[in-house]
Amino acid sequence: MDFEGKTAIVTGGARGIGRGIALELAQRGSNVIVADLDEESARSVVTEIMAGGTQSYYCETDVTQQWSTDGMAETALEKYGQLDVLVNNAGVGGAPDFNSRKVPTVEDWQATFDVNVYGIVNGTQSVENYMIERGYGKIVNIASIAGRAGRPGFASYGASKAAAINVSQAWAFKLAPHGINVNAVCPGLIWTPLWQSIAEWRKSTDDQNAGLSPRQIFQHTVAESVPLGREQTPEDVGKAVAFLASDRARSITGQALNVDGGIRMN
Amino acid sequence: MNFKGQVAVVTGGATGIGRAIALKLADKGAAVMIADINVAKAKETAEEIEEISGASSLFVTDVTNVAACEGLAQATIDSIGAADILINNAGIAGSADWQTRSYSTEEDWKQTYQVNVIGMSNITSVFRSQMTRRRSGRIVNIASIAGREGRPSLPHYSASKAAVISLTQSTALELARSNITVNAICPGLLWTPMWEQVGDRHAQAIPAYEGLTPREVFDTMIAERIPMKKEQTPEDVADAVAFFASDDAKNITGQTLNVDGGFFMR
Repeated sequence: MDFEGKTAIVTGGARGIGRGIALELAQRGSNVIVADLDEESARSVVTEIMAGGTQSYYCETDVTQQWSTDGMAETALEKYGQLDVLVNNAGVGGAPDFNSRKVPTVEDWQATFDVNVYGIVNGTQSVENYMIERGYGKIVNIASIAGRAGRPGFASYGASKAAAINVSQAWAFKLAPHGINVNAVCPGLIWTPLWQSIAEWRKSTDDQNAGLSPRQIFQHTVAESVPLGREQTPEDVGKAVAFLASDRARSITGQALNVDGGIRMN
Repeated sequence: MNFKGQVAVVTGGATGIGRAIALKLADKGAAVMIADINVAKAKETAEEIEEISGASSLFVTDVTNVAACEGLAQATIDSIGAADILINNAGIAGSADWQTRSYSTEEDWKQTYQVNVIGMSNITSVFRSQMTRRRSGRIVNIASIAGREGRPSLPHYSASKAAVISLTQSTALELARSNITVNAICPGLLWTPMWEQVGDRHAQAIPAYEGLTPREVFDTMIAERIPMKKEQTPEDVADAVAFFASDDAKNITGQTLNVDGGFFMR
């Protein structure tokens, strides 16, 4: 197994895609720090992982604060003595109730950049010195296909995810000479709490969607835009992350891989 | 990751990157058909595979010859079964003595396009019916970082590999509804017999490399252009191919992944 005896941190690991990543890495042998603010959901992921036979620990983490991600990294080292993988997954679609607004407000722009961009920067800055000293480390950032091209609508989210790809490249360059790989995964259409919010937003902003449930709006989007004709899952993203975080991807760095059934081809 | 009971076809599988891919897939349990024009080397690799996974075959295949491609498809079914996985790896860098010239001839353009692009299309065409019939399949095309951006010295080769990336995307869209994924890998700098010739060519065509030996050109390019400061290996490429060929990547299609230590970041 790729991650036998290794330790991974997954930010935003309590729910949705982050949960899928945490479970996938655990299944492949990793101990996992679930770094999140949602304690109840995080604890249920921890329980699930431990039932599978590896160690797991909930670490209350606000990725927008450097002191908080510093604490997250320290916790991993205290608990498991080493840190091999950081998955910067925590993300938001906007400020609270963003899905009730037609256009992003300044608060939405701030929130998406605070979490989706600075969250990656903070997480990375909290582990890079340790990884450089050790000459080994894998960082995988969760961007989005929304970051691959500008689209009308929630421009703040797309822009923050484009920045996430750019930040991945910047750190890939910086950390490459130290044996550290930094890559990104761009998930496509995945039925998560975030997508539910997006569907609710589309319901309220587009009359065509008025009679549809959020799940139906999602399914229509899948049918219209995914060449493979099916939605993607948190497990799909988990598997791509597991590949990029493994030594099988030792010569891959600075790349962003779309897991999107072919919606966008890069 | 397990290919037990699966059948893989690797064009250009006798030597170099193709051989490494064939061995990797065999190592994970696949029966492998080696399609190559080098009979002696194909035989050696096929025998090696037989020892690893228990099943292999070889077929002398000039990918530019449609009848030969059809023969390969039939021979695969007859010997080891219908193909689950197709690796389009066969490629050339020019017409005879290309490495001794500092410029591209019409023959370089024609033959390179004939093998790298039309040959790939020929092979894909003869295997698509085997895959569409069963509504399942994985195709991985070997492109090159040379196809990511126009560069001096080998314009015909770069253009052909850019066409491979484009062909990958078109084929992915055509075959998506049949549950067949099509992705590409761009290998970076690998010290293979072909690169030795590329080094000769670069030393003649690029003033900055004048007077250098092929290996010196290679090492200079790694130092200047590869953030990880390391050459890539056939095994690096094979690991990425195996990921795309596996169930772990079932919702990834139309993507091109650079295995290049960060030379290009996409």
